[in-house]
Amino acid sequence: MKAKEGVLDLLYKVVTLELTAVHHYLLHASMCDNWGYERLHHEYHERMTEETTHVSKVIDHVLYLEGEPDVQKIGAVSSGQGVEDLFNADLKLEQEDVKLLRDAIAHCAKVGDFATRHLLEEMVVDSEEHVDWFETQLRTIKQVGVENYLGEQIKK
Amino acid sequence: MKAKEGVVNLLNKILTADLTAINQYFVHAKMCENWGYERLHHKVRERSIDEMKDADELIDHILYLEGVPNVQRMNTVQVGENVPEQFKADLKAEQEMLTLLNEGVVHCTKAGDFTTRHMLEDMTKDVDAHIDWIETQQELIEQVGLENYLSEQIHKEG
Repeated sequence: MKAKEGVLDLLYKVVTLELTAVHHYLLHASMCDNWGYERLHHEYHERMTEETTHVSKVIDHVLYLEGEPDVQKIGAVSSGQGVEDLFNADLKLEQEDVKLLRDAIAHCAKVGDFATRHLLEEMVVDSEEHVDWFETQLRTIKQVGVENYLGEQIKK
Repeated sequence: MKAKEGVVNLLNKILTADLTAINQYFVHAKMCENWGYERLHHKVRERSIDEMKDADELIDHILYLEGVPNVQRMNTVQVGENVPEQFKADLKAEQEMLTLLNEGVVHCTKAGDFTTRHMLEDMTKDVDAHIDWIETQQELIEQVGLENYLSEQIHKEG
């Protein structure tokens, strides 16, 4: 089916952002593993799987709309010296993601593409949960101190 | 543990090729699904997951060697417009990967890093299997004709 105006461009942007997130979490999962934080390794791995599912769904939908998914481009992937750096970078990325998804949802409503809107609405739920999770971790660090927090991440 | 000279650089190059392959296979799998070739969708998707496991292992190993894994860089993703073109693009990517891995094995031998060499050798085996599979498909197309080949891809195996 042919896409409504502007929908494919938005979906391409979503693909790029979700692919960037996959790369982020792939790297961050390994870094946490390397530092000995089993619990965080596990958490990141799960996020990566979720983002991969998102990419998968969006690409399916782009092809259905007779578009050409661009899997060449990825955004900036940040690394860091410690867990807090990772969380801050991930939070920023997820916030961008939520914003993009919301814009896309509004656009789809305007042009009357409710199937795409529905797909994006499902994704934005996950993204907001991710934002919430990173915010919680950063707040916990503030409250209990980074050493206590990290001590709790050693076991799954 | 600190890496021997040139090893991290080499591993990062392989990682880049791997990350590119993940995306290439992923999008090819999706295209096959969209065209209705369930069997190919399934096969190619599996390859994408294989590559992801390799990337995971490489990143772990680079970190172990106290290097910085580069997940930012990607080579050109070659997207084929139809099934034979996809095979051609994938074959090329796998052959490049094989060259890279072989260089890596030789370098690690010279530098005396036998754990990295062992890991790369395992990956070489997988790449060989991928190349073999793609070449078999191309040969099949040659022998039975594209239309017959494609009609056999509509149903998933098993």
